[in-house]
Amino acid sequence: MGRAAKAGMRLGLGELIRAGGRAVSKYTGTVLAVFVVQSLVALAAMLAIAVVLAQAFAHLPMFDDAVDGDLIALIYCVRYGRPSFLAIGGIVFGAILLWQLASWFLVGGLNGVLGQRPEGRGDTARCFGASGATTYLTYARLAVCSLPGWLLVLFAFGTGMNLIAPRIEHALTLPQLLGPILLATLPALLLLHFLWTVADYARIELTLRHDSHAPGVIATYVRTLIYVLKRPLTLVHGGFGWLAFLLVTVAYAYLAQGHPMYGTEGAVTLFFVRQGVALLRTAIKIGVLAGQVELGRMRPLPPRRVEVKVDAKA
Amino acid sequence: MLRRAVVAALVLFACGRDHDAPRVRPAPKPDGSAALRGGGAPRSQRIANYKIDARLDVAKHQITATQTLTWTNTGQSSVDRLPFHLYLNAFKNESSLFMRSSQGTAAPDAWGWIQIDSVQVAGTELVGKLQKAKPDDPDETVVELPLPAPLEAGKTIEVSFKFTAQLPEVHARTGYVGEFHLVGQWFPKIGVRVGPPGAERWECQPLHANTEFFADFGTYDVALTVPGTYVVAATGVLALVREAPGGTRTFTYHAEDVHDFAWMADPYMEVMSGQAKLEDGTVEVRVVHRPEQKDFARRHLEAAVGSIERFSAWFVPYPWPILTVIDPPVDAAMTAGGMEYPTLVTTAGDTVFARPGVRLPEFTTVHEIGHNWFGGMLASNEPTEAWLDEGVNEWADAKVMNDLYGPRTSGMDWMGWQAEAAALRRAVVSDPGSLPSPIATAAYAFVDQRAYAEATYITTMRALRTLEQTVGPTRFAAAMKTYAKKFAFKHPTGRDLFETLAEELDQDLGWFFGPVFQQVGGMKLGLRTAACRQAHTPRGVFGEGSAKKIVTDTDAPDAGSFVCEVVITNTGTIHVPLDIELKFADGSSQRVRWDDRGNGNWERFVVQRSSPLTEVRIDPDSKLWLDSPTTHHYRIEGDGDASMRAAAWFSSTAQTLMQIVGP
Repeated sequence: MGRAAKAGMRLGLGELIRAGGRAVSKYTGTVLAVFVVQSLVALAAMLAIAVVLAQAFAHLPMFDDAVDGDLIALIYCVRYGRPSFLAIGGIVFGAILLWQLASWFLVGGLNGVLGQRPEGRGDTARCFGASGATTYLTYARLAVCSLPGWLLVLFAFGTGMNLIAPRIEHALTLPQLLGPILLATLPALLLLHFLWTVADYARIELTLRHDSHAPGVIATYVRTLIYVLKRPLTLVHGGFGWLAFLLVTVAYAYLAQGHPMYGTEGAVTLFFVRQGVALLRTAIKIGVLAGQVELGRMRPLPPRRVEVKVDAKA
Repeated sequence: MLRRAVVAALVLFACGRDHDAPRVRPAPKPDGSAALRGGGAPRSQRIANYKIDARLDVAKHQITATQTLTWTNTGQSSVDRLPFHLYLNAFKNESSLFMRSSQGTAAPDAWGWIQIDSVQVAGTELVGKLQKAKPDDPDETVVELPLPAPLEAGKTIEVSFKFTAQLPEVHARTGYVGEFHLVGQWFPKIGVRVGPPGAERWECQPLHANTEFFADFGTYDVALTVPGTYVVAATGVLALVREAPGGTRTFTYHAEDVHDFAWMADPYMEVMSGQAKLEDGTVEVRVVHRPEQKDFARRHLEAAVGSIERFSAWFVPYPWPILTVIDPPVDAAMTAGGMEYPTLVTTAGDTVFARPGVRLPEFTTVHEIGHNWFGGMLASNEPTEAWLDEGVNEWADAKVMNDLYGPRTSGMDWMGWQAEAAALRRAVVSDPGSLPSPIATAAYAFVDQRAYAEATYITTMRALRTLEQTVGPTRFAAAMKTYAKKFAFKHPTGRDLFETLAEELDQDLGWFFGPVFQQVGGMKLGLRTAACRQAHTPRGVFGEGSAKKIVTDTDAPDAGSFVCEVVITNTGTIHVPLDIELKFADGSSQRVRWDDRGNGNWERFVVQRSSPLTEVRIDPDSKLWLDSPTTHHYRIEGDGDASMRAAAWFSSTAQTLMQIVGP
C-alpha cells in the first residue's frame, strides 16, 4: 500500500496525480503491453483501410493530390470512391467497437494490477490476466447498467442544442458560435463526466472487492453514484486527466497544422509519430486510473454478501 | 458576488446583444449626380417608364402607392391589351405557381399580395376590366388590361394605378424580417413585346420558383416615404430628400436605362463606401450593412469594387454612378440575400464559417454585381433562357474571382486548404451527362430546382470554360466583349450569343453549341486500354511449302523498344478535340491529339518508344470542363503510397476515439 493510501488518510489531488506517475513508472511493461495491443488494433485497421483505398485509387494520381491537401481532388475522390469511404467508416467503427469490448478485459487487468501491486513481470502478468478475466462479465453488466445514464446525457445534449439552435444559426463570430454551444452543452458534458467517473470508480470497486465482498453490479453503481457526489475530488481528478488528454491531442493537431490532414510525410513516419502521441495519452489515462484506484481503495467497504455453505457431512 | 458576475458574463457571452432603439437619422444629402455617368444620350429605347409615389407602413409591412406607367409601342403591330406582372401574388397562397412549383408555404400572417385599387387610362377607370391572363389557373401573378382602343405602332400610352402591396415575410428576395424590408418586384410591371417586326407577341410569364424577371428598359422616378428612423437604399440616384408629416421622410430616386426598381428600408443599417476606378471615371460603391456585420461589409466592399472594375474592363463600362450592395441581416440572408437589381444587389454569406479566406461572401457579391452586366444591361429573357444571364455570369464571375484573389485561391485559402472558386463549384455538382434536361431549357421546364440550378449555372459555366480553353482565352475574351457591346441595353437571345461567338471566332461552332446547349448526354471520357509489349519483328510461320519458314524468339529477338497501345473512349454526346499525354518510364512524354468530332466514340493510339508506358493523362491541360476529371489521369502500375498515408490518418483518428472509450 502506498504512503498516501494508508488507512485514515484523506488523499488530495496532488497525491492522486503522483500516484499516477508512480504507477506508470513502476508498471511500464503493463502500460506498454496495453499500448501494443491498442497499436495492433490500429495497425490492423490501417492495413485494412490501405487495402480498401488502394483498390479504388492506386491507379489514380488524383488521389495523391487529395492526400497532399488538394481540396478539389479530395472532393472528386470522395465522390468517386464513396463505397470505399463507407467501407472505411465500417472499419473504423469496427475497431472502436472491438476496442470497447477489449477494454473491459484490459481495464479489469489494469485495475487488478494497480490494486494488488504485484512485483515482477510474471506475477504482474498473471495478476493482469486473472483480474481481467474475472471481472470481464461483471464489467459488461456494469456497461448495461450504465446505459440509462448515457441516454440521459444524449437527451441533455439534444435538448441543449435544440435550445440554442436558432441563436447559433446566425452566428457571425466564433464567440457567438462557441459561447452558446458551451453553455448549452455544459450540463450534458458535466453529466457525462460525472457518469464516466462513476463508471470508473464502480469498476474499481468491483475489482478490488470482487474476492472479498462480491458486490452486486447495480448496488455498486448506486453506491458509487453517491460516493462520487460526496467526493468532488473524484471529478476534479478525472477532469484533469481529460484536460491533459485534450492538451496532448490539440498540441499535436497544432503542430500538424499546415500539413492538411496528413501531417508529416510517409506512412511509417506518420504511424510512429502518431503512436508516440497515442502512447503519451495511454500513459495519461493509466495514470488517472492509478490515482482512481488509490482513492478507490480508501472507499468504505461495501456490505459483505453472506453465503451460507451447507456441509452435508456436518 | 463573483459567482453572479460570472453567470452574467456567461449569459451575455451566450446571448449577444440586441440593437438599441431606432433613432431618427440625419437626412442624407441627395447624391447630386446624373443618373448615367457622364450624362449623355439614352442607352436604351426607354420603352417602359414609371413614376411611383409609395408609402411604407412599417408596422403592417404594407405599401400604398400610386404609379404612372408611360409605355411606348415600339413594335410594328398594334396592341389591344397590356399584360402586367403582379409578382407579389406569388406569395398570396399555396395555389400560386410559385408556391406550387416550390412546395412553399407561409405562416398565417406572413403571406404577401398586391391589390390593384384603381387603373385608369385617359381618365377612364378600368379596374373592373382587369382579368387574369389564364382564367382557369389559380395563379394571380399576371393580369391583362384590355385597352378601350388599340394602341398603334409608335404610339405611347399612360396608365395610372393605385395599388396596395402587402409584403410577405421575406420570400424569394422580397419582404420583411423584423424591421428589415427588402422591397423587390412590388409594383404592377408591364410585360415585354418580343418577336419579329409586325408579328410581335407579349412575353409576360407567371412567376415560377425557378424563374426570375424580364422587362423593358426605361426611367424610374420613385418617391418613397418611410419613418424618419429608417435608412433607405434604392435603385438609381437619390435626387431629393424631404421631411414629411408624421415623423416620416420622403426619398425620391431617379434611375435611367434600368428595367427594374428595388429598395430597402431598415432602421439599423450603416453605410460603408468605396470607389471603383474605371477607364472613363469612377463609380461610388456602397455596402449597406448592420453594425455587427461590419467585418463582412469590408469584404463585400473589396469584392464589389474589384468586380465593377473588372466587369467594366472586360465587357462594357458600368454606366451608372452608384452601385449599392445590401448585406441583409443574418436572419434574412437566406431568403433576402443573393439577388440582383439594377444598381442595387443583395449579397449573402455572412456566417461564422466564412472565415477570412473562405470566399463565399465575396463570390456572392461578385456574382450579383455581375448581373448588372448579364441581366442588367444584357437583358435576356430570364424565364425562357436563364442560362444566358446566370450561366454566362457564372463563367465571368470565375474570371473575376481568379483575377481578384488568385487562380488557385479564388474559392478558398484557409488553413492550408486552397481551391479555385469555379473548380470548387464544379466539383460539388453532378456531371452534365446525368442531367435530364439540356442547358437551353426554359427555367420553368426543368424537372426540379436542382436540375435547373446545375444546368443553368454550373454546366453553362463549364461549357463556356471548355470553349474558352479550346479556342484560346484571349480570342474568346474578345468575342465575349463584342457580344456585350453589341447587345448592351437590348434583349439578346442565345442565338445572338452563338452567332456573335461564331462570327468573332471565325468558325462554325455548331458542333459545340448543339450537343452542349441543346442536347442531353454530356462528355464521358475514359481510358479503355493501356498496355505495352516488347517490339520485335514478327514471329511465327511464314510462307508455304518449301518456302515455309518458322521465325522464333531467337530469329526475331526483342528490339529493346516497346510498342504501346492506348484506347481512349468518349461515350457521351459531346465531342471536343482533346490532347492525350503519354508518359514513359524513362521520364519522357509524348502528346497525341484526338479530334473527337464525328470520328466514333473511341480512338486507338499506338506508339513505339524506348521505354514502357507509365501514365496516361487525358486532357493534360484541364481544358475540358464538361467531364469529371477523376479518371482522366491513369497510372499503369498501381502505387499504394497515398493510400497508406491516408490510412495512417484514418487509423490515427480511430485510435484517438479508441483511447476515449478505453485505456
